[in-house]
Amino acid sequence: MPDREAADAPQRCVYFDHGATSWPKPLEVLEAVRAAMEEHGANPGRGAYRMALAASRLVFDARRALADLFRVPDARDVFFASGCTEACNLMLKGLISPGDRVVVSSMEHNAVSRPLHVLAQQGVEVVVVRADETGVVHAHAFEQAVREAPTRAVVCQHASNVTGSIQPIADLADIAHESGALMLVDGAQGGGHLDVDLPALDVDAYAISGHKGMLGPQGVGVLYIRPGLEARELLEGGTGGGSSESDEQPGMRPERYEAGTPNTPGIAGLGAATRLLLVHGDEWRATEQRLYRTLKEGLLAVPGVTVYGPAPEEPAAPIVSITCDGIEPDRLAFLLDRNYGVAVRSGLHCAPWAHRTLGTLETGTLRLGVGWGDTDEDVAIVLGALREILA
Amino acid sequence: MSRMPRPYVAFGFASVHDSLEAESALAKVGVLSLAIPSPRELGELCGIALRLEPADMQAALAALETAGMRPVATADISDI
Repeated sequence: MPDREAADAPQRCVYFDHGATSWPKPLEVLEAVRAAMEEHGANPGRGAYRMALAASRLVFDARRALADLFRVPDARDVFFASGCTEACNLMLKGLISPGDRVVVSSMEHNAVSRPLHVLAQQGVEVVVVRADETGVVHAHAFEQAVREAPTRAVVCQHASNVTGSIQPIADLADIAHESGALMLVDGAQGGGHLDVDLPALDVDAYAISGHKGMLGPQGVGVLYIRPGLEARELLEGGTGGGSSESDEQPGMRPERYEAGTPNTPGIAGLGAATRLLLVHGDEWRATEQRLYRTLKEGLLAVPGVTVYGPAPEEPAAPIVSITCDGIEPDRLAFLLDRNYGVAVRSGLHCAPWAHRTLGTLETGTLRLGVGWGDTDEDVAIVLGALREILA
Repeated sequence: MSRMPRPYVAFGFASVHDSLEAESALAKVGVLSLAIPSPRELGELCGIALRLEPADMQAALAALETAGMRPVATADISDI
């Protein structure tokens, strides 16, 4: 099929790249970001004049909303970061030391595998537990690996950014804790897309992306660390109040882990998104799941399409990866964009471990991430486009 | 502009988050507090403190205790 010139390309964007970032954002999020910059643009937590207090309250309210959404009893255990990658780095580098042993799934994103690579170079033993062909890890395999030697931490994603596979985090936490290990979770694809109850999962730390399923702006992420668990901070610096005269980083939460001026507009946007999720989250997740299943079932019915990940009726985050006979994922992504206005991503999705597990390391996959704002019509457009291209 | 001194009580907290948490807890039970720059008398020159009328001090402490909080420092101040 010939490519159209850009001028002739469809103007409407059928957006299925929610695995990378959500788009569009709710208007309330845009308004919160604007107001944070235009009306409350002072530095939060520093001054006590009215605009600085307003900025401080934006951050305070966002933190409390996040604690409510994830059922965290004390909002001081919720920390803001520049994104889920920084949150994962703090979680891993703050809690794992040279000489420690960690057990990790084979489906991890580079936000986990790369920090672990650095830690391995510093003397941390990293044991990888392979997921099955659908990208799901099994608790008994972790149990076996954890029992082989004293283990500092079990590390696992909540949901795969390649297949949407949901991992058995509560079971893994039980296994970890029975052996005295920590349960550390990369929840980049969990927050917003799944109803996450952190106390019920009994995790020790959980990293969240602010801009994917959470619907906030890019440049903000969140880390939860359970009360009493001391992690080394990644950064030292100004925290506004609390022992400013001391050269030592203050030990109280949340400031301990938030040196420097925060991304207040991003946090304000994430706060607005979180408050929306507290009200509409169940309804929005139900729509996402319905569209995801329709899409996955439709893809399974297109001749020449190989669909990876769990069966449509299995629990999953709303992400599907496919390969197609006779056409590389990158060319497919290009055609879908230029000829049909469908935004999807090809390649490894920053998760080579996952592709090695699935057998797609050489080709990568075409990934379709469903999310807020997608419609039945959007699903019909992408399925129709694929049928046309592959005919 | 008046510079008449008047007495007030200042509550200091371990962090800005705790100050705002306390402000919220006091507002819930109708105790009026004012967020102010941390006064030197609290032993902390940065951050946010809460200013209260002296008559409200006991009610404020009780409300904070109910909320599981207490100030890390208090000061009786007579100033502007």
